[in-house]
Amino acid sequence: MIHSSSTAELADDLATASAPRKRSFWRALLAGPSGLIGLVIVAVLIFAALTAPVIAPYDPLRMAAGPRLDAPSTNYLMGTDDFGRDVLSRIIYGARLTLQIGVIAVGISLSCGLLLGLVAGYSSGWTERVLMRLVDVLFSFTEIVIALACLAIFGVGLTNAMIAIGIASIPFYARVTHSVVLVEKGKPYFEAAVAAGAGHLRLIFLHLLPNVVPTLIVIGTLGVSTAILAAAGLSFLGLGAQPPQPEWGFMLSSSRDLISRAPWMMIFPGLAIATTVLGFNLLGDGIREALDPRQTDR
Amino acid sequence: MTPDTDAPLLSVRDLTISFGKGRHRNVAVKDLSYDLRAGETLAIVGESGSGKSVSSMALLGLLPRGAATIEAGRARFDGRDLLHLSDEQLRGIRGDRVTMIFQEPMTSLTPVLRIGQQLTEALIEHKGMSRSQAAARGREMLTLVGLDDAPRRMKQFPHELSGGMRQRVMIAMAMASDPAILLADEPTTALDVTVQAQILDLMRDLKARFGTSIILITHDMGVVAEMADRVVVMRKGRKIEEGTVREIFETPQQDYTKALLAAVPRLGAHAAAAEPRQVVDSPSRPGARLLHTHGMSKTFRERGLFAAKAGGTAAMQDVGFDLAAGETLALVGESGSGKSTTGRAVLRLLELDQGVIEIGGTDMRRLSGGAVRKARREMQMIFQDPFASLNPRLSAGRLVAEPMVIHGLAKGRELQDRTEQLFTRVGLEADHMRRFPHEFSGGQRQRLSIARALSVNPKLIVADEPTSALDVSVQAQVLELMLELQQSLGLAYLFISHDMAVVEEVAHRVAVMRRGRIVEIGPRHAVLNDPRHPYTRALLAAVPVPDPTRTRGTLPTLDTSTLPTGPLTEIAPQHMVAS
Amino acid sequence: MGKFILQRLFAALVTIWIATIAVTILIHLVPGDPVRIMYGSFQTTPEELEAIRVRLGLDQPIWTQYLMYLERLVQGDLGRSIVGDQPVLDVLLTRFPATLALTVSSLAIAIVVGMSLGFLAAYKRGTWVDVGAMVLAIVGVSMPHFWLGLLLLFLFALQLQWLPVAGGDWRSLLLPALTLGLANAAVLARLTRSAMIDIFDQDFIRTARAKGLPRSIVLYRHALRSGLVPVVSMLGLQFAYLMGGAIVIENVFAWNGVGRLAIEAVLSRDYPLIQGFILFFATVVALASVVIDIAYAFLDPRIRYS
Repeated sequence: MIHSSSTAELADDLATASAPRKRSFWRALLAGPSGLIGLVIVAVLIFAALTAPVIAPYDPLRMAAGPRLDAPSTNYLMGTDDFGRDVLSRIIYGARLTLQIGVIAVGISLSCGLLLGLVAGYSSGWTERVLMRLVDVLFSFTEIVIALACLAIFGVGLTNAMIAIGIASIPFYARVTHSVVLVEKGKPYFEAAVAAGAGHLRLIFLHLLPNVVPTLIVIGTLGVSTAILAAAGLSFLGLGAQPPQPEWGFMLSSSRDLISRAPWMMIFPGLAIATTVLGFNLLGDGIREALDPRQTDR
Repeated sequence: MTPDTDAPLLSVRDLTISFGKGRHRNVAVKDLSYDLRAGETLAIVGESGSGKSVSSMALLGLLPRGAATIEAGRARFDGRDLLHLSDEQLRGIRGDRVTMIFQEPMTSLTPVLRIGQQLTEALIEHKGMSRSQAAARGREMLTLVGLDDAPRRMKQFPHELSGGMRQRVMIAMAMASDPAILLADEPTTALDVTVQAQILDLMRDLKARFGTSIILITHDMGVVAEMADRVVVMRKGRKIEEGTVREIFETPQQDYTKALLAAVPRLGAHAAAAEPRQVVDSPSRPGARLLHTHGMSKTFRERGLFAAKAGGTAAMQDVGFDLAAGETLALVGESGSGKSTTGRAVLRLLELDQGVIEIGGTDMRRLSGGAVRKARREMQMIFQDPFASLNPRLSAGRLVAEPMVIHGLAKGRELQDRTEQLFTRVGLEADHMRRFPHEFSGGQRQRLSIARALSVNPKLIVADEPTSALDVSVQAQVLELMLELQQSLGLAYLFISHDMAVVEEVAHRVAVMRRGRIVEIGPRHAVLNDPRHPYTRALLAAVPVPDPTRTRGTLPTLDTSTLPTGPLTEIAPQHMVAS
Repeated sequence: MGKFILQRLFAALVTIWIATIAVTILIHLVPGDPVRIMYGSFQTTPEELEAIRVRLGLDQPIWTQYLMYLERLVQGDLGRSIVGDQPVLDVLLTRFPATLALTVSSLAIAIVVGMSLGFLAAYKRGTWVDVGAMVLAIVGVSMPHFWLGLLLLFLFALQLQWLPVAGGDWRSLLLPALTLGLANAAVLARLTRSAMIDIFDQDFIRTARAKGLPRSIVLYRHALRSGLVPVVSMLGLQFAYLMGGAIVIENVFAWNGVGRLAIEAVLSRDYPLIQGFILFFATVVALASVVIDIAYAFLDPRIRYS
């Protein structure tokens, strides 16, 4: 049935009745299934990336390491591709590229977006209006079209794709930062700091930023998912990774014509992408819940 | 309906409600019993967290499911136990025999549906009326609650009505089915005092007309005195005391009730005194002029796509006043009167369109950004919401020390020592410095705000509704602290408030604001005891009196079209009224 | 209301205008000589390249180029593609119906599946239905569209052989529309759920319950109608995402829409076509969001009667 709430009074009653229980961030993160599962998946991914040369059974690039298009077996757990390369080894090495994509793309978009959003939100007036109007327009172009435009400029390739995705997501991060800054700026504690005589730097770095960062950690984590998906998509379209890079999206695209003969070439890289993205999504949700328990299941 | 005073209409026994489960179980209401007799108004009073709302919501099965559990109890009504009915049976009673009105008229109506539909749907559901019958009844009720042009109102959407009008609609909705019991949960708390008076009058009138019994949930002893026949006092989920309204106000038995009543500010209690109560041995008295303002105007313009639009609402028009060192000037008014805007303008937290603000002879509006920040050492602010006005990510010690750091007044060991002194000065313990704001209660947080404001030894503090988010007992302590600080340190307060009784307790002088203008200003006793402007009179007449033996009297009708809003003219020494 | 529509139209025009500036600048950001990059593979002489440069106006100052571009634009001239040497606008318009069919049918699937799932989850908050729906949704959000497409293709076209692998009729539309629709349904389900949970927590729902109305009336009349307002306001963005997603999905299913064209253009560095595509895409998305904003305004009386 519907959960009705709550005048301020009822909320008060509730708050008083449920005594304050402050949990540490990590305990809160690991308490929910989202955070725990997400953390495990991301940890496995990082482990695979770091130890790829040790744990990968074969060289990911060596052709004819085994028979071509061999179905999964004890020798080749995920089968081999049309060049006889071990799919499992390629997926393990692919984790390195995937992490690189996530870090670089989110690094670009987060830093530029944060700067833009913060400047726009803090300055207000004309600067804000012009900046945010532009950001809104770019945002409505959608990330994939901006990424395509960037690739049209830089030319194709995995590194260019990472940068393109990073640039394409700047409007999103700028919007989020801007809206969080506006919310925080509207809160009385900010006005209290102004009234106390705080200067610009103090207002930005001591009062605004610490209250903006938690949100950015959450969307940054979720953003890694988006970036990985986008990069895989571009590679799938032939605009990102080039042969013989063991990039998951690219592996998928080379499986396309062989789906009926060698479905494992399609299933396992896809599974790797989906699991990784799921991991970062869950981790992001988990962090959000841990940071703000009231937001749980929103 | 013939009132039968012997058999109670509703009889609640041993009601116990808890939140959470297992280790996290917290009892919100414990063993609550009371009777409601036909035709009476029973007030359930208590401060926040007393369980007064929860216990009433439970009667109608409106508690959040899963979160709250009714552990025990019975509630006998109409020969049935409300607490042990099926959802379907309870639904038949809800909205028909027992109806409710809520605190927040702004959010309690569905925004996408017309008033008419919301008003009639319960009648169609419970009474089996046809659409046109229900609509006729709806129009009748709208007229009865004092809304003009009922047919047009029926077609309107909630956003087209003001808060007071929406609460009238809520009442029309609740009374349309001629219920046996009306549950009113803080029905006037969100309203301005003049609107509150009208709504209370309306509820009394309808009660007499329909013979309805009312359960009135409130924290406001003034409302209790005015409305209730009997009173149940609750604290921390338990009933502390019960009695007729006279018994509770005149011979309270429990210490808590006594303390609660003592803490309630009563308008007129200080009418005879020339100055605020003396709380230190040799208080400093108002001295030389500190703040001078005149001609302050500010219009908030709505932003268009690229440029500011013409028009907009005038938040302040030609506002001016003086404030002496060690003096309190109270700015009173209802929502939208511009009193908060005025307070912010004085601190230059917003830019005026025109006007003069001089502090100690310096024109604040001429100062550059850096100089304004320096000047802010002289004047600090205390905000209404003690929960939101402290940065949640800074420790209490850092928050209090921040203004000293900003203005370079102290550092290292000295900063530490002075912060400690401030903590003890405002009645907090020095070892609370490492805690974070959320670990303090509302009253303690307001003490933190005061400590922060004091840290730079300001001459002026702008206090924007500093106690209106607090329970009365806490409010009394905070007011006491503010008086004590003023009298020992010679602080000037610009005290912004909507509560006339609080103003009477702390102010030397009072300025009444309405729609962005000061309509009356003068010494406290002059303005409050001898109000000259019709609006001031209406405002004072609307204040509920926390004394059941005194009636508020009928409300003067205010003809807003002929209200004087011109320049102020002096009618008595220092007492000026709009002409 | 009229003012609101005018405002939205104006905002759409600004978007399109900024797109025209963006595509003019784009060609100047290309490192090296764009003419050489575009035509270098055609065995052209330096003189021919120079002639192309003059024909495209690339020898002019950038603002002259922009004015020339605008002038041609109002005449419906988006230039000629390099590959195939056809008018860009004609190419785009020929391919657009296929993309429109794909996006509109996916949007329908996304709305039906996503909104009902989200509504159900919010209504059954905390139960296994909610948990199940949300697990499904987060898995859906995490799946690459093109992988979902390949899986569906593998299952329905190759294993079960119910549907054709490619082609142009409605049966071949089914798989790409399903792919794109389901992927976006997951996003929409999450949005709807949180919007509905917000609504269920509102004071006015408690009022409706306190009136003793039947559960179905509380749900559909009070909650759903209010909940639709924020959800519909997000549909404009959803449509833009669908248009973006279509670029990838068209390539998976060899669906001959503008998305496939765009990828070919980027791969072959056909700048007039890329420019045309970006402008076209921006225009379609901007106009679609105007339409959705108007629908939104009709749902929300606070806008309708202002």
